[in-house]
Amino acid sequence: MTAAALPLIDRFRTIAESHPNKLAIADASGQYSYSQLQAAVAQVAGYLIEAGLSKGDRVAMVVTNSANYAAVFYGIWAAGGVTVALNTQAKARDILNWTDHANAKWLFIESGHGEFTEIANRLDQGIELVAVGEPKTEQPAQAQTPWSAITQQPSGMPNLALAATDLASIIYTSGTTGSPKGVTLSHANLSANIDSIQQYLRLSHQDSILNVLPFYYSYGNSVLHTHLAVGGSLILENNLVYPHRVVERIANEVVSGFSGVPSTFALLLGRVNLGDYDLSNLRYLTQAGGAMAPTLADKLLAALPKTQIFIMYGQTEASARLTYLPPEQIREKRGSIGIAIPNTKIEVRDKQDQVVAPGVTGEICAFGGNIMQGYWRDAEKSAEVLKDGWLYTGDLAHTDNDGYLYIDGRSSDMIKSGANRISPKEIEEVIQELDSVLEVAVVGVPDEMLGEIIKAFIVPKDAQQTDKKAIQRHCKQNLAIYKIPKSIEFISELPKTASGKVQKFHLQNKES
Amino acid sequence: MSAEAQIRNYILENYLFTDDQSALDSGDSFLDKGILDSTGILEVIYFLEDEFNIKVEDTEMVPENLDSVNNIVAFIGRKSQ
Repeated sequence: MTAAALPLIDRFRTIAESHPNKLAIADASGQYSYSQLQAAVAQVAGYLIEAGLSKGDRVAMVVTNSANYAAVFYGIWAAGGVTVALNTQAKARDILNWTDHANAKWLFIESGHGEFTEIANRLDQGIELVAVGEPKTEQPAQAQTPWSAITQQPSGMPNLALAATDLASIIYTSGTTGSPKGVTLSHANLSANIDSIQQYLRLSHQDSILNVLPFYYSYGNSVLHTHLAVGGSLILENNLVYPHRVVERIANEVVSGFSGVPSTFALLLGRVNLGDYDLSNLRYLTQAGGAMAPTLADKLLAALPKTQIFIMYGQTEASARLTYLPPEQIREKRGSIGIAIPNTKIEVRDKQDQVVAPGVTGEICAFGGNIMQGYWRDAEKSAEVLKDGWLYTGDLAHTDNDGYLYIDGRSSDMIKSGANRISPKEIEEVIQELDSVLEVAVVGVPDEMLGEIIKAFIVPKDAQQTDKKAIQRHCKQNLAIYKIPKSIEFISELPKTASGKVQKFHLQNKES
Repeated sequence: MSAEAQIRNYILENYLFTDDQSALDSGDSFLDKGILDSTGILEVIYFLEDEFNIKVEDTEMVPENLDSVNNIVAFIGRKSQ
């Protein structure tokens, strides 16, 4: 097996044996060396094997960023399972929808999770609930496996051979009822992308990162794996609510890397004077999850003149990463998302699948070892985006004469708000459940800090029934906090085509 | 209206979407209970600056000052001294 195809769990095992005392992860509960993390990984794997896991079984997890997250995730791999890491902000309805769709046999969920009781009460038979972490007093007494069943396992790693082509992970990118989209990635997909990222970031065991990105998204997922594959260290900070604390930790923990989305950097630059801190060890920053405004990039360059800034672009369907802008080009190629990452091909194509000339807008298409296998149990949706091995991203762009890519828009109506990509359909489904609502259309509208915020246009059944709070309250009960519409407007009818399709661009134009 | 009532009503109205006072305990952690995220905290700061005529310094953006109604009331009290 070539190094490129070696599953990440095998690389982790090698690092843990060669650098047992190196710091792997520091979280709020403590610091964990590679050997300590490997012991925890082995315990999770030992439990799953003993509990009857067969190779390829899906194991879902709802765990916030922590050493436990890595232990469960790599433990599932070490046992031969497929990870299904779910959004920890999601409500029970989405979590149950995903576990059901993936036909998961186990659900690892943090003891203190706000939806624990609801999920425990509604979970189907045939799926075992495993409480992650020490029990909380308010936890119900439903049949479940306590964390102690894991920590009592022996700490020797099982020696299971995984094929590079075996399915490694399913990552859900939306949660619409009936047809959630689960991106399936093989061990080879993830390994290929991790190799490419390590190559252009020049990551080594000397690197450490302060991580604020959720691991359940592909961006955070790649940060976790790139570091554990080279023997680097991850210092976890689980929220950006208090930005100067984040910068304080970057300085105090002497980290070499930091990754964020445009709103991360807007928040840091807006609320913190970076010049007040010694950030001389910060070798690089990465930014993905939407185009960074050139003015924001300029401010970052001015505030951190010695730090390399990598602007990047990708999709979950590509394991994470597709392009990067070499830091030395950031001034000359303002606004560009760069060039293809190593070992990946990018073309901009028209609707007839022909490569367009520089300056002409087309769809970004990608080919490489990192491209997903397809959407889980959805051949139709898979065929829409995968053709002859090429991924059709749905994102529109053009190149300049040097081949650098510039995003021009996207053909899907996904909303990008902060680090989140949100399907409007999910929100529309929830709002439509209310008796007072006749029709609803949800769009993203521009926002300086978050890129976009969510706005719902609602046609009420009764023109007098326009209680915004009742709608937002219903959303809060059923949707993750970041999916609650910030703005609601009642209108008499939705703009539609002759065939009845809602013309969302008319609604968006109202806002711009 | 007391500062506590003003802050409680603002949180109830804008983040819990209700006027039911029992929906929020003044000691509830905004983060632990999933009431606010990072943009929500910024909105709360703008509200406090407007409503109480104070300036929240970046270094004062810490949970001890902002993560519950009680913490905010105490923080405003200290700022007003």
